[in-house]
Amino acid sequence: MTNNKYKILLVEDEGNIRTLVTTILEAEGYQVITAETCLSAVTLYASHLPDLIILDLGLPDKDGIHLLKKVREDSLTPIIILSARTEERDKVEALDMGANDYITKPFGSAELLARVRTALRNGRHSAEVGKFPGGKFKLKDLVIDYDARQVFIGNDEIKLTQTEYNIVAFLSEHCGKMMTYSAIIKAIWGYPDEGGIKKLQVNMANIRRKFGATPGKASYIINELGVGYRMNGERE
Amino acid sequence: MKKISSYIKDSFITVIILFLSFLVSLIFQHVFEVQEHITTVFVFAVFLISLWTNGYVYGIAAAIIGALAVNYAFTFPFFTLNFTIPVNIISAVIMIVIAVLTSTLTTKIKNHEAVKTEGEKERMRANLLRAVSHDLRTPLTTIYGSASTLLENRETLREEQRIKILQGIKEDSEWLIRIVENLLSITRIDSGKVKIIKTSTVLEELIDSVIIKFKKRYPDQEVEIDIPSDIVVIPMDAILIEQVIINILENAVQHAENMTKLSLRVFILGKQAIFEIKDDGCGISDEQLPNIFTGYYENTGEPPDGQKRNAGIGLSVCATIIKAHGGDISAENIKTGGAVFRFTLMTEDNSDDQ
Repeated sequence: MTNNKYKILLVEDEGNIRTLVTTILEAEGYQVITAETCLSAVTLYASHLPDLIILDLGLPDKDGIHLLKKVREDSLTPIIILSARTEERDKVEALDMGANDYITKPFGSAELLARVRTALRNGRHSAEVGKFPGGKFKLKDLVIDYDARQVFIGNDEIKLTQTEYNIVAFLSEHCGKMMTYSAIIKAIWGYPDEGGIKKLQVNMANIRRKFGATPGKASYIINELGVGYRMNGERE
Repeated sequence: MKKISSYIKDSFITVIILFLSFLVSLIFQHVFEVQEHITTVFVFAVFLISLWTNGYVYGIAAAIIGALAVNYAFTFPFFTLNFTIPVNIISAVIMIVIAVLTSTLTTKIKNHEAVKTEGEKERMRANLLRAVSHDLRTPLTTIYGSASTLLENRETLREEQRIKILQGIKEDSEWLIRIVENLLSITRIDSGKVKIIKTSTVLEELIDSVIIKFKKRYPDQEVEIDIPSDIVVIPMDAILIEQVIINILENAVQHAENMTKLSLRVFILGKQAIFEIKDDGCGISDEQLPNIFTGYYENTGEPPDGQKRNAGIGLSVCATIIKAHGGDISAENIKTGGAVFRFTLMTEDNSDDQ
């Protein structure tokens, strides 16, 4: 699984956490570049063009969101937010601005590595989906046939309504990436609207039922309370 | 915002009461043809206004309006202001005195109550701080000591000794994380004194998230789940309610000795969702049961040292969160063994959508 060609930019002002994350990543064979401030991170990003950015939001000079915006001006480089903030609002804001995922401090090494792998895969995957519209999506037993608009688990076809299919297809196209409620609603219904979240929740409940998911054992779509949903990339 | 709305409310009360007293006076004058008690009606009105509004302004204003009204409309000579008749001046003075006295008394009582609740909060906060500092010191001692040992005896420690020490560090850090999570929950309620922000949460998604987090900490502990098959939407601060359920489940894992079964059931009764967490362990002792949700706050003495087995601040946090949601929480022993924790939340009225 490890690929020593991957270059990761770590932006974090806390010395101990920087050392820890660097050690964890280097032990897995990733190449790590570190920055302590937002401004030096912008420079390093431009000169090294990393494959992934791990970004702490609370930086001494500027909010990490600044770098996020800067990167998203011209690139899809996966960004994982590393943050002590537990408020969902901050997570949602960062995700809506283009972050791929977030990880809340404190975290374990296994969790960090799983997110990194998912984000790197997700970056490649999106590119592939972009290149081949239609085609098929496969994740464990789940198969989505984009041309026929059909969904299978194993050999059984799962009968979904139009809206339900659109949601599942949308999440699969962004497999591994956390999609906020508002991002999904905009993609499915085209406009943000008051009752949107409720409509989405009802549809998701039906999808879960049809997928045979039970609480604590959702295998394909993961729900993050107050934030959104994600198609399970790799996380165990 | 709050201030403006209280001004509007107070002005409204003043106008309504004055209007009613005019009406009553008119009835007295024209229907019963009595003249003498009209002043009394206005004195009563001034009293009520001073009692039900904040500060002196409304009462005094009402007293002046009342005095003028009595003078102008209800005493001879009618429809003229006459300040030469001593009776009119005396009644005006009486009304203003009553307004000032009543307002002073009400303000005093209100201030007294505010000071009392503030003092209680302060006491609770101090006790919580004491409890938390103690809870923090124990794991920190292990972590600090372990790390120093590892650094200083790098070469002499055997592999299995090292692993044991490292495991201790990991366990105690996890314990610290949980304390901090609970503290964060409390500050989320306390900060700004704003009421908690409730968002519509699907029960199924809540339970899903709870179980995933719980399993991460206790991979070997099975939890039996029984929730309604229909979609249930409950307005809540989901992060906080999640914390409540995890705290109660965790409490069972740590304290219910000989537990073989842990279950989480949610059912709907009228407009309430009732959450029930049941275990078949050793139950709760009689001394602990009455103040299981408040014990930690009110316990002024320090708990015996090294006691990690107490309920920590977890259950107190549960009670604070559920109260802030306007629900009830309770705990009792089951006759056949074990304990059951219950809490309630209001469900959302679902009739108006879809």
